[in-house]
Amino acid sequence: MKKIIFFLGAVFLATTVMAGGYQVRLQGNKQTGFGLVGTPMVYGASSNFYNPGSLSFMKKKWDFDLGASFILSSVAFQKSESNYQAESDNPVSTPFYFYGAFKINKLITVGLGVYTPYGSSAVWNDDWAGRLLIQNISLSAIFIQPTISFNINDKLGIGAGFVYAIGNISLRKALNYSGDSYVDLEGKASNIGFNVGLYWQALDNLSFGIDYRSAIKMSVTDGDATFSIPTALQGTLPPSNKFDAELPLPANLDFGVAFNATDKLTFALEVDWVMWSAYDTLSFKFKEKGELLNSDNPRLYKDTFIPRLGIEYKVSDLIHVRGGFYYDPTPTNADYFSPETVSLNNIAYTLGLSIMPVEGLSIDISWLQLFGQKADKNYSPDNFGGTYKNTAIVPGLGISYSF
Amino acid sequence: MKTRNLIYIVLLPLLFTTCKPVVDDFTPSSGSADFTSFVAIGNSLTAGYAAGALYKSGQEVSFARIIAQQMAYAGGNGQFKIPLMPTEDGVGIAEVTETGMVLRTKLVLGYSKDCLGETSLGPVPANPDPDQQKLFTELTTSVAAQGPFNNVAVPGIKVTHLFAPGLGMMNPFYGRFATDPVNDRLIDEPAKVNPTFFSFWIGNNDVLDYAASGGLLPLTPVDGGIGTGFQASYEAALEIIMKVVSKGIVANIPDVTSIPFFTTVPYNAIVLTNQDDVDLLNQAYAPYNQLMEVNKLPYRINWELGPNPMVIWDKDMPLPQPFAQYKFRQAKEGELILLTVPQDSLKCARWGTAKPIPDVYSLTETEIGNIKTATDQFNAIIKENADANGLAFIDVNALLNKLKSQGIMQDGVFFTAAFVTGNFFSEDGIHMSPQGNAMVANFFIQAINTKYNANIPQVSVTDYSPLILP
Repeated sequence: MKKIIFFLGAVFLATTVMAGGYQVRLQGNKQTGFGLVGTPMVYGASSNFYNPGSLSFMKKKWDFDLGASFILSSVAFQKSESNYQAESDNPVSTPFYFYGAFKINKLITVGLGVYTPYGSSAVWNDDWAGRLLIQNISLSAIFIQPTISFNINDKLGIGAGFVYAIGNISLRKALNYSGDSYVDLEGKASNIGFNVGLYWQALDNLSFGIDYRSAIKMSVTDGDATFSIPTALQGTLPPSNKFDAELPLPANLDFGVAFNATDKLTFALEVDWVMWSAYDTLSFKFKEKGELLNSDNPRLYKDTFIPRLGIEYKVSDLIHVRGGFYYDPTPTNADYFSPETVSLNNIAYTLGLSIMPVEGLSIDISWLQLFGQKADKNYSPDNFGGTYKNTAIVPGLGISYSF
Repeated sequence: MKTRNLIYIVLLPLLFTTCKPVVDDFTPSSGSADFTSFVAIGNSLTAGYAAGALYKSGQEVSFARIIAQQMAYAGGNGQFKIPLMPTEDGVGIAEVTETGMVLRTKLVLGYSKDCLGETSLGPVPANPDPDQQKLFTELTTSVAAQGPFNNVAVPGIKVTHLFAPGLGMMNPFYGRFATDPVNDRLIDEPAKVNPTFFSFWIGNNDVLDYAASGGLLPLTPVDGGIGTGFQASYEAALEIIMKVVSKGIVANIPDVTSIPFFTTVPYNAIVLTNQDDVDLLNQAYAPYNQLMEVNKLPYRINWELGPNPMVIWDKDMPLPQPFAQYKFRQAKEGELILLTVPQDSLKCARWGTAKPIPDVYSLTETEIGNIKTATDQFNAIIKENADANGLAFIDVNALLNKLKSQGIMQDGVFFTAAFVTGNFFSEDGIHMSPQGNAMVANFFIQAINTKYNANIPQVSVTDYSPLILP
């Protein structure tokens, strides 16, 4: 038990940009190894997130799933028309999940999920060329989701979860004043949303899943703004100020299909529609001196469609192996691309391994490697641009137990 | 056995994943130019004079030095010798006062108390009461032995000075690095570093001397021989330079009336809040208005509550000889008051109201017209010569106009032509700040790259210091 507490404590950290924008889909290590495909699958308690509709298809009465991923990422940058290079030194971030589910009867299953589907962190050197845009940033959100799932009949499951989201944002931007001036912005936000899904076992070897997770607007009210600036300016800009800001967590509509080619071999395809166009402008409103400080920063994200492929092979009752692949296009606008969220067109492959030493227990290991495709981007309001490239490797470990 | 193979497959990626992303797409190139040895010829702007003085770290961030550093990536030898001043406080161009010549240190932003006892933030001398002898020694100690120099720009020079033998005796900024100050000509300096590329930005002082003296010092005439007229001198200068080095960049001159030195103090800075004051002033100027009426001249001086135009001396007013002492009037919108106008005199000695502001602190409509005409003429000559010699050309005038009208954003730094807040100008309102120099260097580099199909990397303006605030 002590270990688990430590584990949860360690994960209250930001997660690095993993999917497009600041979404993180590493919410189940079975799914992670499987190309992050989850909607058409029955993967026990982790369906709380991926598809509440398939939750009621779990086989045992109780199911628990706990895990985390370790994102090791970095971004390389070269300024346009220049040989200037920089590399972000991102901390290892650890999105985590915990799911529990209880089958009340054949019809109804209830569950609870605690997971981290959004987050981003970037740490650039204090003296890097883009420091007036961003020095470092950390966004994190934890979702708590009670779920109810109905097994309408042998073929059809529907489910819905209520989502309570809590989030943190902290960022530092340098200011163009002498003496290494900067502003720190820190705030908390919370809001509610929902997650609904449908699972259809069309044939013995063919299943479909569809899942919709609502957009959630995270509104920071009275966040702390701390200005570290020369004394001469402190009469104009109060060193301690409050700010309001709003960051949308976009809606997702996922559609997947899984086909069991043999008893041992499963293929799955999924398309995720991420409604990033909700992220239009990042606005900061300050309590004092708003006329000087308020800013509307265009982001102009667009919706993305992520195709995914997953393959699972049941080697034996002891071992299942998985692999996957996906293409996650950037939701960003090439002219409003801020180094705070370096989201490129990402190609990733995944590998997974589940070891089941005893009945009901599964140790799930996953591996994801992501290749951000090099691209020229510019943040035109600040006339700061260059070529970005990023990579990430993400080992993950989870444990699930059902009885 | 099978299981073991699978584990290998899972672990395999670890072997090739530790590599971090790298972006290295920029290939520096000298194109059709040769940047081996770069020489910069010009005036205070090229020398790195800033904040009212030539000082060490200012010289080190001159746009010319920045260009040289960037050229080192594209074949430059990395040698860019500068006749560095010995101190950070530096020494400014000598100022002539009633008591003689005064040398000053650079300006810094700081607090000063005015005649009303109010403290305000503004440019103040780094050393308010410097030892004149010490500054004189710093200014005149020869560094010629460290030469030859790549930055041969000299504060205060006009295009006509380039040919003057003995310039070093008149201008200590040249004298301190001239091998033989008594005989050397500045125009012969570039050859000493065997240059392969040059920058030539001159002509500013041919206008600025007139402008910064409120129109009292002469403009350089367009016509006249070498050493007298702008055209002949400019052509001759380029001819001499081109004999030594055939590739380079020339810059035109900005309309100086756009710089903060002339635009910061509003023409209507007299704000009257008391009707008694208004009445008193109107009474006092009643005889003046009568005189003008009698002489059928359009000038009237009237006062009202709120902002009022300042009263300035205008030597060009067409008054008949006996009334020469009345050559003053209220400034018109668009006329300029110089940044150097003594604020205490405005606040406490009734300058601008009871006493007309001396001519040396204002530019009238006529004077501004003369400046614009000269600037246009000089710029036409510069462009003509740039084209005739097949050189790269940078339109600094357009750059400053853009700064003034809309501003220029680079790397999150917003440059405008505003004093202090505009980031571009230093504390003297005339010369560039470190970030302003970086920005100018980038524009030079762009022009060089375009002309010579080269690829000199640009700099990040954020690598250079903003103005230092207390």
